[in-house]
Amino acid sequence: MEHNEILEKIAYCIEFGKIDRNSPFPPNMKGQDGAGEYTRQALEKGIKARDVLNHGLMQGMDRVGRKFRDNKIFVPQVLMSAKAMNSSMEHLMPYFTSGEIRSRGKFIIGTVMGDLHDIGKNLVSMILKGNGWEVIDLGIDVGSDKFLEALEEHPGSVVGLSALLTTTMANMKETVEKIKGNNRDTCVAIGGAPVTQEFCEKIGADIYSPDPQGLVDHLDQRFSTG
Amino acid sequence: MTGKERIRKAFSFEETDRIPWVPFVGVHGGYLTGENAENYLKSSKCIVNGVSKAIELYKPDGIPVCFDLQAEAEALGCRLKWAADNPPAVVSHPLEGNMDTGLLPEFTKEAGRIPVFMEASRVLRKKHPGIALYGLITGPFTLALHLAGTNIFMQMMESPDEVIELMEYCKDITKKMASWYIREGCDVIAVVDPMTSQIDPVSFESFVSPPAIELFEHIRQEEALGSFFVCGFAQQNIEAMCRCKPDNISIDENIPLSYVKEIAKELKVSFGGNLKLTSVLSMGSVRDVELHTLETVEQGGDSGFILAPGCDLVMDTPADNLIAVGRVVSDTYHREFLKTLDSAGSSIEASDLSGYWKDDKLIIDIITLDSSSCAPCQYMVEAVKLAAEKYGDLAICNEYSIKTRDGISMMKALGVKNVPVTVMDGEVRFISQIPPSSQIDSAIREKLAAKNLL
Repeated sequence: MEHNEILEKIAYCIEFGKIDRNSPFPPNMKGQDGAGEYTRQALEKGIKARDVLNHGLMQGMDRVGRKFRDNKIFVPQVLMSAKAMNSSMEHLMPYFTSGEIRSRGKFIIGTVMGDLHDIGKNLVSMILKGNGWEVIDLGIDVGSDKFLEALEEHPGSVVGLSALLTTTMANMKETVEKIKGNNRDTCVAIGGAPVTQEFCEKIGADIYSPDPQGLVDHLDQRFSTG
Repeated sequence: MTGKERIRKAFSFEETDRIPWVPFVGVHGGYLTGENAENYLKSSKCIVNGVSKAIELYKPDGIPVCFDLQAEAEALGCRLKWAADNPPAVVSHPLEGNMDTGLLPEFTKEAGRIPVFMEASRVLRKKHPGIALYGLITGPFTLALHLAGTNIFMQMMESPDEVIELMEYCKDITKKMASWYIREGCDVIAVVDPMTSQIDPVSFESFVSPPAIELFEHIRQEEALGSFFVCGFAQQNIEAMCRCKPDNISIDENIPLSYVKEIAKELKVSFGGNLKLTSVLSMGSVRDVELHTLETVEQGGDSGFILAPGCDLVMDTPADNLIAVGRVVSDTYHREFLKTLDSAGSSIEASDLSGYWKDDKLIIDIITLDSSSCAPCQYMVEAVKLAAEKYGDLAICNEYSIKTRDGISMMKALGVKNVPVTVMDGEVRFISQIPPSSQIDSAIREKLAAKNLL
């Protein structure tokens, strides 16, 4: 198999959520190799880990992010893709540790105080990781102080706030105020089912996107080095 | 027409005297009565007080007994984390990793806080016979997620039969809850299933539609009305929701009302929504709320539409904002006033009032929509003019209709926000209500005395 062909196989498996040979999903790929096997094969063939990440994993997750944004797929499909991505990522982890692969930046993420929902936050984390970002996940029910502590530990990071409940959106406002009060140059992105652009402007956050891919695009624009 | 009749008629596309209004009061009821969310949701007495206060203030046609999508899950063994200003959240999922529903405790009317909600329904039914009471139940998919955790999304792909079995179990729970609420006097069963916003139409039709269709049929057989609520972006599933045959669907601001209206009307399902919860109702000014309500009411139209917030109200939503929604709904003249303002107001400057006030006279300005077409305006103008007559040239009455440019300029200069309004020497004295002649007379006397003109 040519290098390009194997990288495309990885991207395809991630796009359609094919984890490994044993995975029953999607039904039309039953019994075939999945993202995990193809990633191992790619590295064995001598394809650079960075190329596997950029042209295999990121390619696949980029397609997932776009399809999710266009309402062509929804949470279950994205989670299957993320599971496939993770099975690829396991093979790449040693290259992150050795420094052969570098992240595009750090992104601190958490669901705001009072809100214990994590699906949206996890989706964003997965898609960011799949696009080469290092994600520092503070979990759920995160108070503004915890965000500030994380910023102190990882200066210059972008901060992402998630909320599912309309009732906890007020806490988003308070968290943005505290982060901006501490350092007004910190880039704060917000998202979650009830959040809107109007709300984002009202509370002084920098980025709102209704979907993870939109966030990736915003970040690409804002932090593009090219 | 009672609120209950209005809702019933709107649900079946019959003519109503005005658009029905249903504020989704959950823990906001605690805010109105000084209780934190936890105390509120654990006490039928607190719920009754909170809902009664909301009924008194907001003059709704219907109202939920409670808005808590965790009660069934709690009764089935999920642990909750409580907050002071939010509904609780589910923090443990007893079926995570093993979807055997035989492991769960029996679901009875005595379990968890269900007796609290039933008692509240019973008391509210007696206290407010004319209001449509909504019994809110956790939709089958959201309940399944509470029980099994978010792995269920992947299990839908990897082991669909197990998920279908769990959905069957959840359907039985929802049917029980619906029956209990109906027996306590609820008129509408609202099946709230926000997590369906996260799945695609094929998954919705495969996993959610079969139990939902059976549930709405069950509600119909028990002679109540069924409403399907979804919060969040669920545009992809609106048609599938309507095909589950509820009497009504209710959506939030994430979905354009015009989109839902078109599909729902075609499928003969009434629809409701979608006042903006945070940016307007919670954080906007009274005027923002009024204009947004006007816009929503005009979009929804007067057939088969129920005005409601998109979802559970933010706990500390200012009461004045929700009172303002009720006013726009029930006061035709106020709506006319807002429309006039909206269309012409912004381009017209305030009048210059320098030299307008006189030392030897009291100037009384009555700002009206138009006293020939607005009955309250007409009565106010007549009453004030009559009271002023006996003071001759000492009290001068002017009517300014906001249908004219001069009227709008004057309204802006005087800082008036409603019609009809009586202003004496620049001070707003009477708003909307027509005061008895004795009160008008004493207000005039007070003003004249202050100028040493009596």
